[in-house]
Amino acid sequence: MSTLSKPWLQSRFPLLDSFRTYLTAPVLPREKPYLASLPVLIAGALIFQLLSGLVLSLFYNPADAFNSIQFIDRSVNYGWLIHAFHETGTTMIFGAVYLGIFRALWLRNYKAPGELLWFLTLGKFLVLLLIGYLGYVLADGAVSYWSLANSIGGAFGLSGVPGGIGVWFFGGPDGAGTLPRLAVFHGVLAVAMIGILLLHHAARRGAEPPVTRGVSLHPYYTSQIFAAFVIYALIFAVLVFFAPHLGENPLNRGPANPLVLPVTVSPPWYLLPLSNAGHVFVSAWGALFAVLARIALLAALPWLDRSAPGKPPGFPHKCLSLVLALDVILLCVWAMQPSSFIGGILLVLFTAYYFFHFIVLLPLTTALEAR
Amino acid sequence: MRRLLLAGFALACLAAPRAQAEDTLNPPHWQSEGVFGSYDKAALQRGFLVYQTVCAACHSANALHYRDLDGIGFSTEQIAALAAGVKLSTGPATLDDAFKNPYPDPQAAAAAFGGAIPPDLSTIAAARPGGTRYIFNLLTSYAAAPADFLPLPGHYYNTAFPGQQIAMPPPLKDNQVTYADGVAATSAQEASDVAAFLTWAATPNLDASKEIGLRAVLFLIFLAFIAIATKRKIWRETV
Repeated sequence: MSTLSKPWLQSRFPLLDSFRTYLTAPVLPREKPYLASLPVLIAGALIFQLLSGLVLSLFYNPADAFNSIQFIDRSVNYGWLIHAFHETGTTMIFGAVYLGIFRALWLRNYKAPGELLWFLTLGKFLVLLLIGYLGYVLADGAVSYWSLANSIGGAFGLSGVPGGIGVWFFGGPDGAGTLPRLAVFHGVLAVAMIGILLLHHAARRGAEPPVTRGVSLHPYYTSQIFAAFVIYALIFAVLVFFAPHLGENPLNRGPANPLVLPVTVSPPWYLLPLSNAGHVFVSAWGALFAVLARIALLAALPWLDRSAPGKPPGFPHKCLSLVLALDVILLCVWAMQPSSFIGGILLVLFTAYYFFHFIVLLPLTTALEAR
Repeated sequence: MRRLLLAGFALACLAAPRAQAEDTLNPPHWQSEGVFGSYDKAALQRGFLVYQTVCAACHSANALHYRDLDGIGFSTEQIAALAAGVKLSTGPATLDDAFKNPYPDPQAAAAAFGGAIPPDLSTIAAARPGGTRYIFNLLTSYAAAPADFLPLPGHYYNTAFPGQQIAMPPPLKDNQVTYADGVAATSAQEASDVAAFLTWAATPNLDASKEIGLRAVLFLIFLAFIAIATKRKIWRETV
């Protein structure tokens, strides 16, 4: 009978009590920096993407993709604005995800007990890359058309399980059925991302050290998250209204032509860190290997890093992290250029350094540090 | 234009189109350039005249409809009169018709130009690196080929086009159109105006975007100060 002494809704819907405890229990550590709000901002941005994507999907026609986007931009009321929101929202999400990954590398958040959180961060990153790639392909521009044709060709060239997955995913050679199929995957994966984010959130609470004198989520961290959100929204507004196509290949804003190959086939900036694998390893197997190896090295970080858990990062580690970030940025810059002899050599060098960092430099410096 | 302050921008939104005296050709520049740039409607209307008289003879702009022309400052009556002068296969064009495609299909266009189909101009300014300036350079960079350069048959020497040769004959010459506002129709002026028009055609919402954007950014800067101050006040009470 005790449950009935509570207010009507609370006695019938116990989740309300858990939510109140979640908001007011003083279990959170003090002094978390603004950047610790990044996962919440990513979740908010994802919901924003789902809403703008929902509006776009009402008008998008995969059978006549490029022209239907022109229709959205020119003839739908505020369609151009929703489209710009969706496009720049992607840039903002990936900006936050890359910043979060760099922050984890810098602070060594991937060390115990943060391994599971780190794997979920990488999983989130991989699924986002796939969603981002599918969205890029759905634009059906002069560049993304060829990118899709090459991907399908590459997937069909694979044998065994990878080839089977490729055939199942793309459904068949590039044709009338491809974009409708990929549009479904784009939307379904985006909704599935919510599940990954919830798992990520639960694991984040687990990876935090126990707190003796903590603070509650509300009003302390809600006010901090709100401030971080306003800054995030400010950057978003500047980009969406004054630099709406930042980091995109302008050639992709023309219609696809199956008989004309564009001068530069480079994807939007957020796909570059992995897409340039194909520039270095030419065959489909090589590109697949390079992408998986890059992710596998990140996933192996809790073991590649020999330092003791909880030890603050030393000066050599900070230097190496910055050099690695610079290496990835330069890799992307060169991957955007039209192919040239020097560019090819630089791409190989920058890729080699990436592997060298994780396989040799990082275990060596952290082992020396731990001694 | 680049250095306009916020107040100046607000003023420019309210005030009538700017005086004609500014020389936009030396060096070539456009009012739409820069962070606070907006379209010069007089230039857009001149550019549309060049487009309609010269470009539209060979190029399509399928994404544009005659009704869209209210964005460059034409009244509905003016547009209706313009459209009525265009003969489609179904009769005179109406406001809701797409810009007339000069060829029934790409095969006919290819046959007319030795295989080089004139590209659709709807998004050309957005789909080329350098946009507006690229179009101006392309239209003004025809020259006699140097002695050691042998263009392909049916091609013209043009330093702005990748490969230095292009299948499009030099399209503009002096006084090819007569501007209603009395601006001298040199070929450079025509190129500048049509580049402005094609930029508008590719991104017709530039002005609206910047207008909303300015308000949104100012509001968010204000809100950011309040949010950070609130956060600091709340945290001061906990220690």
